[in-house]
Amino acid sequence: MFLKKYISDIFNAVGSLLKGMRLTGFYFTHHKEIITQQYPDNREQLNLPERFRGEVVMLHDENNEHACTGCTACELACPNATIKIITKFDVTPEGKKKKALDTFVYHLELCTMCNLCVEACPTDAIKMAQTFEHSVYDRSQLTKKLNRPGSKIREGVE
Amino acid sequence: MMSANAVIFYMLSVFVLSAGILSVTSRKIFRSAIWLLFSLMGIAGLYFWMELDFLAAVQIAVYVGGIVVLIIFSIFLTEQSGREMQGPPLARNIFSLLAVAFGFVLTWLLIYRYGFHAGGRKFDPGVGRIGSQMLATDGQGYALPFELASVLLLSAMIGCIVIAMKTTKKSDA
Amino acid sequence: MLSLEGITDSIHNWLNHALNPTLAMLSEFVMVGLCVITLFAMLGLVLIMMERKVSAYMQVRIGPNRVGPGGMFQTLADTLKLVVKEGLTPDGADHFLFNLAPFVVLSASMLALAPVAFAKGFQVWDLPIGILYVSAISSVSVIGILMAGWASNNKYSLLGAMRSGAQIVSYELSAGLSVLTIVILTGSLRISDIIQAQQDGWWIFKGHIPAIIAFVIFLIAVTAETNRAPFDMAEAESELTAGFHTEYSGMKFALFFLAEYVNIFIVCAIGAALFFGGWMPFHIGHWESFNHIMDFIPSSIWFTGKTFALIFVIMWFRWTFPRLRIDQLLNLEWKYLLPISMANLLLTTFVAIKGWYF
Repeated sequence: MFLKKYISDIFNAVGSLLKGMRLTGFYFTHHKEIITQQYPDNREQLNLPERFRGEVVMLHDENNEHACTGCTACELACPNATIKIITKFDVTPEGKKKKALDTFVYHLELCTMCNLCVEACPTDAIKMAQTFEHSVYDRSQLTKKLNRPGSKIREGVE
Repeated sequence: MMSANAVIFYMLSVFVLSAGILSVTSRKIFRSAIWLLFSLMGIAGLYFWMELDFLAAVQIAVYVGGIVVLIIFSIFLTEQSGREMQGPPLARNIFSLLAVAFGFVLTWLLIYRYGFHAGGRKFDPGVGRIGSQMLATDGQGYALPFELASVLLLSAMIGCIVIAMKTTKKSDA
Repeated sequence: MLSLEGITDSIHNWLNHALNPTLAMLSEFVMVGLCVITLFAMLGLVLIMMERKVSAYMQVRIGPNRVGPGGMFQTLADTLKLVVKEGLTPDGADHFLFNLAPFVVLSASMLALAPVAFAKGFQVWDLPIGILYVSAISSVSVIGILMAGWASNNKYSLLGAMRSGAQIVSYELSAGLSVLTIVILTGSLRISDIIQAQQDGWWIFKGHIPAIIAFVIFLIAVTAETNRAPFDMAEAESELTAGFHTEYSGMKFALFFLAEYVNIFIVCAIGAALFFGGWMPFHIGHWESFNHIMDFIPSSIWFTGKTFALIFVIMWFRWTFPRLRIDQLLNLEWKYLLPISMANLLLTTFVAIKGWYF
């Protein structure tokens, strides 16, 4: 039936429009739902979402040890060539040579915070930090070395 | 000393006439349309001046809202609407001027000979009266022309639909 | 109580007493002109502020909150910025028409303001065809938009102008037809008559079903006619950058912006006059005591309240609904709104003849 469909179309349309208006009307009257953060004012109690991605950092424990094996999985995963891993060879007590991390170079100016490196890491050595105030006066300051000086790989991480 | 009424009349007339002249002499077709618009608006102003509100509103709605918009649309759809047009040949200019002169003299003579006198009988241009006059069937009524015009417009509308309709070919399947 | 009618009357009498009629009329012209310009400026500031706050709250934001208390002076600061900005005219544009267009649009809305009744007896021009006059004048603003679009010499502007023209010309039909329902019920085109007819109840209650249908169609059609979202095809930021005012800057752009908001005010004022009794207080039939209490609220407050409530509804539309495509837009008008409003017109005529309204 053409006429029946026509009329039911009209009623459905009006109904769905009213549904949308009800939601916006709810937000209009309920100001507690507002999610805007007045950033520079509330710097102390800033409430960042859990999954916010600010920059890549390497995790170090209290013994200044990290979990990076220098496998370069993150370097390969990075779409922008943000990460450059320089490796060295350690000599183990048994006299074997073993590949280890020398310098984890991270170019923040190239990073798009895509999180692919963190996902690629087999040992969870790196993660995304929530810091976001990255502005500096010189571009070279954005090239960072992520492993701390004197740090070494944690025992038992392969 | 002219009364304010007369001053307004002459101002409106000058506006209408100058907009009309500009509309004819402009070399850009879009500008011509805009001058025509101003001329028509001025005529609507004259109707308002004569306190014929209904006629004035209809003048604006039909001519400005309808016809000039239609003209502008057709200008948009033609090529080279932004170019300056060539002036018409001299012969055409002369004959147009002659036609204007003859038309002017004819009108002037008619008005002059007839000798209109101001302030005759009052007439009531109310909307209700216009409406009942339009649909009256007695001697003063306009029911027949009104219906004829409606039928004409209806047939034009149907014609438009027929032209615009997609012809669906009978599928082989 | 201080009524606006009394003030205008006393000014009129005093002027006629002190000056000769021509001069009195001229000075009244000047005063009305000044009032209208002031009203325009105030409306622009208030409505833009309102729109920004409404949109912010509907989108779970705060909105402007830095300039002045609660961000109240933000629009003032923006206006100041627009005033001192350079009004650029593109090289390839038709300079004359380009600069004329904003004024045509603004003058059209200024003219359409004439029959709006702001309070009891407070009206610029109560002409006997008020409603017809408004719908006639509102078609002039199309010309301004087409002019702006063509004179800019820009494809986006031209496309926006064409769309806007098609949209306004087609939605004018259903807006006119829905206005006609109330004209049929009242039997007059004069705005003061229409308002006076609602002395014992507003038309939206007295005219029940046909009036409500007409009101919904009226709201949709005027939203489209003022080129507002969800019908902002003329601007369509995502497709046409800014439509017909892409090339405009500074004060000329501000004039377009102002005209848009004033147009919203005018259509809402007309809608309030038609369906909610304009300045007429909320009256119920012959409940004399109740009506008398309602009369204590001044008529200007009733008018402002109703108009701003309607403006709020139109803003609510804008911040809720997604934009229509141009073909959907024309489908909506020609396949839905126009047939419905025609059927509604017949229904209203039937109701009016039978006297089935209250």
